Amino acid sequence: MSATALPGTQPDPAEPPHQAMEQAAEWYALLRSGEATEADRRGWQTWLDSHPDHCRAWSYVEAVSRNFDPIHTTADPKLTADKLWAANTRVLQRRRVLTSIAGLAGTGLLGWLTWRHTPLPAMALAWAADHRTATGEMREVALPDGTRAWLNTATAFNEDYSASQRRLHLLHGEILIETAHDAQRPFYVDTAHGRLQALGTRFTVRLDEKETFLAVYEGAVEVRTNAGASAVVRSGQQVHFTPDALGAPEPADVAREAWSRGMLVAHNIPLSEVVQELRRYRSGHLGVAPEVAGLRVFGNFPLHDTDETLALLSEALPVRIHRRMGWWVSIEPKAAAESTSR
Amino acid sequence: MSASAYASSPSLETLYCDHHGWLQSWLRRRLGDAADAADLAQDAFLRLIIKPAPRGFGSHGEARAYLRTMAQGMCVNLWHRREIEQAWLDTLAAQPLEYAPSAERQAIVLQALHEIGAMLLELPPKAARAFLLAHACQMTDKEVAKDLGVSSRMVRKYIAQAMLRCMQLQARSTAIDLIAPNRA
Repeated sequence: MSATALPGTQPDPAEPPHQAMEQAAEWYALLRSGEATEADRRGWQTWLDSHPDHCRAWSYVEAVSRNFDPIHTTADPKLTADKLWAANTRVLQRRRVLTSIAGLAGTGLLGWLTWRHTPLPAMALAWAADHRTATGEMREVALPDGTRAWLNTATAFNEDYSASQRRLHLLHGEILIETAHDAQRPFYVDTAHGRLQALGTRFTVRLDEKETFLAVYEGAVEVRTNAGASAVVRSGQQVHFTPDALGAPEPADVAREAWSRGMLVAHNIPLSEVVQELRRYRSGHLGVAPEVAGLRVFGNFPLHDTDETLALLSEALPVRIHRRMGWWVSIEPKAAAESTSR
Repeated sequence: MSASAYASSPSLETLYCDHHGWLQSWLRRRLGDAADAADLAQDAFLRLIIKPAPRGFGSHGEARAYLRTMAQGMCVNLWHRREIEQAWLDTLAAQPLEYAPSAERQAIVLQALHEIGAMLLELPPKAARAFLLAHACQMTDKEVAKDLGVSSRMVRKYIAQAMLRCMQLQARSTAIDLIAPNRA
């Protein structure tokens, strides 16, 4: 991966902003405390997803944690830690005598932010929606007119049928729609970014934080962004749009539709992309070590059981699945623990 | 003072002649071992070749202050390396024979102990202790609080503080790796 990366895409050696680092450390302390609730975990996930700096800062939490892995492999980690502590204490005493400085502690340098809990309006709306799925859940629903909708993981939509129109409002996640024919009532899907009108069709709509993604597998869909730009997307095409920008249609990735059958179909895509996809089906954190992020993946993987998918990946690729805590899983090079020579 | 001032920034050869003997005996007094002292004195001058002092030296006194600071750091590193090796040998000795890990595995653990030990030295002692217990022994805040005799709230604060500091150290060493991947 890095060999073919452009100079501008090299990993940024600059440290993430201090505030992001501080927040990552705070989240770590909370989540590992033994007192974290499911709501804390969701809050952390929202924080992680809300800015790329947060992911970068969290990658340092992972890197620091990795340093401790070998200790867990010793017969008695507590004993190993105690002996290490005693060794450090003796060194500290000798250092004090040597330098006559009473410790080099950095307390007081670190100002801690008061923790701010971000309100989650999108999440709250989704809880009250007509149709919804939890993370990792996929479901098919039949709508009153015979239209079929498959809800992907963590999805919520409202159904608004009247005498003059059929309207779905996608609040969160992704739906695949196979519309039933009804010449009298147009079929719309609304998202935060614009409106889609089905023109006899099978298509999938995914709502991300900043944009909506549409892929059309049969028929055609008319897109109209909030700002008024419009285009007809035909079978075999996909587009991304925001309230005020409508991307150019690209060939649709047909493999993506497999989610409606509970499958993730990978044809030569990097492991990092597979992980990005799997994250949507899992709560908690799924990390991937940079050394293996570029490995190419082939195969069909079950989305309803992502643990099974991870097991399959570890058989197919030179990676191992490391469970740091129940909710925190990372994919690492298989030989890492055996050949590290840092 | 003017007698000990250098006319211009001295060459390494001058520095070696003026200070090597002094540095070696300074080290011998602190380390209590002539061979270690000779090694470290040699290392100190090697480091001056690889990475000269930023602004050169204007006087004997300046050169000695610089060498003394460097030598202090080297002494601490040497003690630390030996203490950690001893700690690991003690750990192994305290375990039943059937748990004996392979030589390769032992080297990995030892390397990790060196890195963690160095990281913990940079932390306030209570934060270091809390972090080690929490992370290496996977203890909950309540358990760590009991060990340290402080509140769980304090433990949470210590651990966040320690993690932040370690992240910053990690970021700094990652940046160095990226800039100079071939450093010895």
